[in-house]
Amino acid sequence: MNVNDMNSEIVRVENVGKVYDDNGIPVNALHGINLTVAKRDFSVIAGPSGSGKTTLLNIVGTLDTPTSGNVFLDGENIADKKRRELADIRLKKIGFVFQAYNLNPVLSALENIEFTMMLRGIPSDERKRRGLALMEQLGIGELVNKRPNEMSGGQQQRVAVARAISNDPRLVLADEPTANLDSATAAKLLDLMEKLNHENGITFVFSSHDPQVIERAHRLLILKDGQIISDKKN
Amino acid sequence: MISKIAWRNILRNKRRSLILITSIVIGVVAAVLTDMFSTGMMEQMLTNQISADAGYIQIHKKGYQADPILENSMTDPQTVDNLLIAEKDSLDFSKRLRTFGLVSSAYNSSGVSIVGIIPDQEKKITTIWKHVATGTYLTSQENQVLISSAIAEKLHAGLGDKVVIMASRLDGSIGSEACRVVGIYETFDSGFDQTHIYIPLQIVEQMLSAQNKVSEFVIAPKNQKDVSGIVARLRLELDHSYEVMSYEDMLPLFVAQIKIYDSTMFILYLIIGIALLFGIINTMLMAVMERTHEFGVDMAVGMPNRKIFRMILVEAFFIGVIGTAIGMGISYVSYLEFASTGWNLAAFSESLKSFGAGTTIYPVFVMSSILLKVLIIPLATVAGAVYPAVRAVRLHPVEAIRAT
Repeated sequence: MNVNDMNSEIVRVENVGKVYDDNGIPVNALHGINLTVAKRDFSVIAGPSGSGKTTLLNIVGTLDTPTSGNVFLDGENIADKKRRELADIRLKKIGFVFQAYNLNPVLSALENIEFTMMLRGIPSDERKRRGLALMEQLGIGELVNKRPNEMSGGQQQRVAVARAISNDPRLVLADEPTANLDSATAAKLLDLMEKLNHENGITFVFSSHDPQVIERAHRLLILKDGQIISDKKN
Repeated sequence: MISKIAWRNILRNKRRSLILITSIVIGVVAAVLTDMFSTGMMEQMLTNQISADAGYIQIHKKGYQADPILENSMTDPQTVDNLLIAEKDSLDFSKRLRTFGLVSSAYNSSGVSIVGIIPDQEKKITTIWKHVATGTYLTSQENQVLISSAIAEKLHAGLGDKVVIMASRLDGSIGSEACRVVGIYETFDSGFDQTHIYIPLQIVEQMLSAQNKVSEFVIAPKNQKDVSGIVARLRLELDHSYEVMSYEDMLPLFVAQIKIYDSTMFILYLIIGIALLFGIINTMLMAVMERTHEFGVDMAVGMPNRKIFRMILVEAFFIGVIGTAIGMGISYVSYLEFASTGWNLAAFSESLKSFGAGTTIYPVFVMSSILLKVLIIPLATVAGAVYPAVRAVRLHPVEAIRAT
């Protein structure tokens, strides 16, 4: 897979910088980041705490805006987009998997998966059918009516993955998805994500320093002090 | 699904929802019962005035209402008499001759309005006979007088005692009659009681040498809804030397008082509403801020701001509807309870009498007022959630997700 092939790229980050204001003191979270992510890639951004992994993931995921530089998602520059347009991009093109699962506590597993489909306006019957099929595919068919507080961490994270891919996104961004899981559960989750990458062609970008994740990645980017210090294929 | 999430969020923090719903219920019950009882009190005050003395319609010689002196009495009451007899299917009527004078006992005197009535006919028009506390109502055309307990107390007069009634005649001389107290009345209006005595019409005519004079014809329509129709008909039939007045024309102060009271109640509702609104804003703000992290996640998965905004308003609307429904239910049960027994305010009887209201207030169910509250209160609850909803959609997704 050629990461420099513009036609196959899903993400292009050009000279991105991010400066935070910490009580009047500017903090450089990212500077001079250049990066492209190819379609169907399975990449990991690794680095120590505070290196800027989550900030970079948030910028790529349109949750945050860069102080300088441009970010292209599927060929579209997202730097000048309004909040409403960014929400629409997230809904249609990006799936998120969080470290703390972040399922809606008042919804069942199936309803959590249906939620993003509902936001896209998919009819109820179709939502249910697709949600149940996803749950079967991800091996969580027995959790249909369970609420998050009735599920284990691993189960919740599988539901979160199902939610992330329910709208057929071009890109899934996973921020430390295995950090709260034991190694066996983490391994099963990564198996699942690899399968989705292989079979469904979904692009995954992780931020993680979990060796299991790093080991399975096709590409490893190492971030330090807001800069990419290493970018190599595994 | 937005509605489902909103509903489950209400159930999620039951205590907070319960506090919010309870505050709405209290507001609704307070507003509805205040409205029902104040309307009831106002209607009672007006009805008391109408039924005790004024009647629904009066006919005078032109100018009598502005200057109610003997000189302004009708000299040819037969025209009106004949007209009213012709209308007897739709109304009852009586005639009175009244003047200002003095009632004296051996102990004291009091300035009063002397009302000469035809006892049997007056009974069909006013309820003064129902207010006789001791003794009897006027029974004949003899020298009898009906005085109030307030006047009786002032004169130190009791049943069977003789009092002397004096008033100026048309020629300027003083006419007087000695009458025996046959009854002592007490109405809901202490001001009225202190100034009115009733004696047979014939005795007043005799005392004033004013035979065949009438100060006023007092009319009670058989159907109260016909007041304006009858007034219009009588005005057409009678020439400009007469004045035909409805109770609204005769009691302008009362009508104004009711309007002023309505304005006062509006201010009270406004205060209740503002207090309620701030309570809702405060509680909804807490509810929203507690869920900052969730809203961040909702934003991350692509939920548009308008849907987040709508979800919060739907939550508030549900709470408003529940609170209003419970409040209305409690109010209706209270209404049913009080509608038959009334609210006994005997402890405040003196002040209520000075208002002309009874000591037992009966609530009045005004459907338009209830419907207005049913509409306004849930909307006010939604309005109270607007600011918290604006705060929610202004959250920055990344900062919101970081919130714990």
